[in-house]
Amino acid sequence: MDEVVAEYIRRTVLKIPRDEIMGVLRKWGFLSETQLGAINFRQTKDSISQEVVQLCEENSADVKQAAILDIIYNNIYPNKRVWSVYQMKKTGEETDLFDFTNFKKKFKRRLQSALKNVTISFREYEDNAIWIRIAWGTPYTKPNQYKTSYVVYHSQTPYVFISVSVLKSNLPLLCQALVVASNYHDIREMELRSHCLNSLKDIVFKRYSQNFQTHYPKQEKNVATENVDVRIIQEDKSEKERIQRVNREVFGDGPQPKLEFAQYKLETMFKSDPKMDVLEKREPFRCLVKFSSPDLLESLKSLVPAGMADAPLSPLLTCIPQKARNYFKIRERKGVLPGSFVRP
Amino acid sequence: MEERKAYSRDGVLAHLEMLEAQAHELALKQEEKEQQEEKLAGLKARVQELRARRDELRAKLELQQKRLLEKGGAETHPEQPSARAVLEWKIKSVKALLQLFYLTGISGKLTKRGVCFCISTAYEGTYLESYYLDVLTKPEVQIQRHSVPIFIPLEQIAKKYLQTDIRRFLSVLSDHLNAYAARRYQADQLQERFSDRLEGTLQRNSLCNLLVFHYNVPSDGRSFLFTARLLYADPCCSLPTEAIISCTPDAPAALAEVAAAHSDAFRRAALHKAFDSFSKAEETQDEALISPPGSP
Repeated sequence: MDEVVAEYIRRTVLKIPRDEIMGVLRKWGFLSETQLGAINFRQTKDSISQEVVQLCEENSADVKQAAILDIIYNNIYPNKRVWSVYQMKKTGEETDLFDFTNFKKKFKRRLQSALKNVTISFREYEDNAIWIRIAWGTPYTKPNQYKTSYVVYHSQTPYVFISVSVLKSNLPLLCQALVVASNYHDIREMELRSHCLNSLKDIVFKRYSQNFQTHYPKQEKNVATENVDVRIIQEDKSEKERIQRVNREVFGDGPQPKLEFAQYKLETMFKSDPKMDVLEKREPFRCLVKFSSPDLLESLKSLVPAGMADAPLSPLLTCIPQKARNYFKIRERKGVLPGSFVRP
Repeated sequence: MEERKAYSRDGVLAHLEMLEAQAHELALKQEEKEQQEEKLAGLKARVQELRARRDELRAKLELQQKRLLEKGGAETHPEQPSARAVLEWKIKSVKALLQLFYLTGISGKLTKRGVCFCISTAYEGTYLESYYLDVLTKPEVQIQRHSVPIFIPLEQIAKKYLQTDIRRFLSVLSDHLNAYAARRYQADQLQERFSDRLEGTLQRNSLCNLLVFHYNVPSDGRSFLFTARLLYADPCCSLPTEAIISCTPDAPAALAEVAAAHSDAFRRAALHKAFDSFSKAEETQDEALISPPGSP
C-alpha cells in the first residue's frame, strides 16, 4: 500500500473522537466485521490508528478508498469547515431528469480536461445530497490529498455548498465543472457563509420554521405553563405578551438556523452636527459592523424578550434568513429622506 | 294689635310687602307638598303595576313547569334556541366546511395583507405533506414566502399564471406537488416493502423523476438480475413516461417477454402495485409448474 495513502488514513482516523471510530469505520465498509472486531479500542488513539492502517494494508487500500473515508468523516463532522453557498442559473424550463451516473461522468470529464491531476470522489446520501471530494494537484504534480475541496449538491436545486480550504485559484474550474454537469449555465457566489452546513441548507431550502396562518390546526402547541408564584404580579404583562407575539411573527416558532456572524459594510455618510465639524469632506465614512455569536439568530431572537432591545428589531437583522445572506453592503439611500438602506 | 301699631310706624306698604312674601312662601310650600304627594301616588301606582306583572309571570312559570312535568320533559312547542346554541352550531358548521376545503387539497385563510394558501397532497387515500404559500394582494399579487420544496419550479409556474389566473396557478402547483408526493411515496414504498427483491440501492433524485434499480426475477429455479430505469418526464404525472427494463446478457431469450411485460406494468400501475403483481404472477407460475393444468 502506498505510504502516502497509509499516512493519510492514519491521520484521518486520528481526527475522529475515540468513541466514534468504530461507527465511522463501519460506515466506510472497507474493513470486514471480523477485522473491526479485532481492533482494541482501549489503547491510545495513536495505536488505534496504527492498527487500522495495518488492517487497511491487509486489504490493500488505495487512494480511492482513503478518499471515501475522508468524505465520510467530513459528512459526519461538517461543522469543522466553513461553507459558502453558490447559486446556479439556467434558462431552459424543461423538467430536469437528473441522472447521478451522468452527472458524475460529466463532472469528471470537464474537470479532468482542464486539470488532469485531480482525485475526484463521489458519495450519495439518503437525503439526495451528493458529496464530491476533490484533491488538487498541479499540471506537473500528483494530487495532494491534503489540499481538498468539498462540494455538497442536492439534485435539481440551484444551490451548491462549497468548502474550499486552500487553492482558491481552482475555484473557477470547480464552478465550471458543476455548471456543466448539472445542466445549468451560470453560477455566482452568494453572500452567505457559515460553519453549520445544515443551517445553510435550511436557509436556502427554506426549511426553517415559518409561521403560516391556517384554519386547520396542525398540531396544538402546548403552551408551557410556568410554575409562577401567585403572589408575584407582572406589571407589564400586556407589553410582554405583545413582545412575544411580535417575536413569533418575525422569527417563527421553531429553532433558528445556526449562523456565526453577520457583517455589515457601511458606506454611508457620517451624520454629525455641522457645528462640530468632524469631517470636512463629504465622503462616505467607511465602517464595518460585525455581529458574532455561537448562534446568531437565536441570540437575536432573545434580544427583545431579554429586554436588551426594543421591539420590533431592525429589519437589517431580521431579514437574514429571508434574504439568505449574512454579508451586507449598506449604501446611502438616494431620495428625500436621509438614511441608509440595504442594497442587495 | 301692638304689632300692627309697630308696623304702621314703618308704613302700610312695607307691611303689605311682608304679607305678600309670607303668602308666597306658603304657596311654594303648598306646591311642593302637592308635588310630593303626586310623586308618591305615582310610585305607589307603579308598585302596584309591577306587583301585578310579577304575579302574572309567576303564574306562567308555574304553568310551564307543570306542563313539563306532565309531558316528562319533552318539548311541547319549539322553544326559542338560545343565542349560545345558535353560535355553537354556526361554529361547528364552519369548522366542518373548513375541514371539507382542507380535504379537497387546496384551502386558504385571509391574512392581514392577503391570503395564506395551503396545498395538501395525498396519494391513494393516504394524506401526505401540506405546503403553504403566503400571497400578498397589494400592491400586486406576489408570493411573500412559502414552504414549497426548492426543486419544484414554483417561480416558473408563478411567472406564467400568478398574475393572470390565480386559480390556474394553484391548480398547476397542486398538480406538481401531488405528483411529486406520489412519486416519492411510491419510491419509499418500494424501498420499504420490497427491499428483499432489490439488489443494491435504489438510485433516485430530489424530484423522484428518475429511478434506477436492480431486482431479481426468478425463472426456472434460477434468479436473474433485471435493471429498471424509470423516467417520469411529465412533472404532473405520477406514472413513468418511459420504463426501460434490461436483463443481464446471460439471461434466456424467453425473459425478454417478461421484461416487456414488466415495462408495461410499470407504466400502467403504481410502482409498489406493479411489484405486487409480479409477485402474484410468479406465484401462479410456480403453482402452474407444481401442478401443470390438465395433469391427473
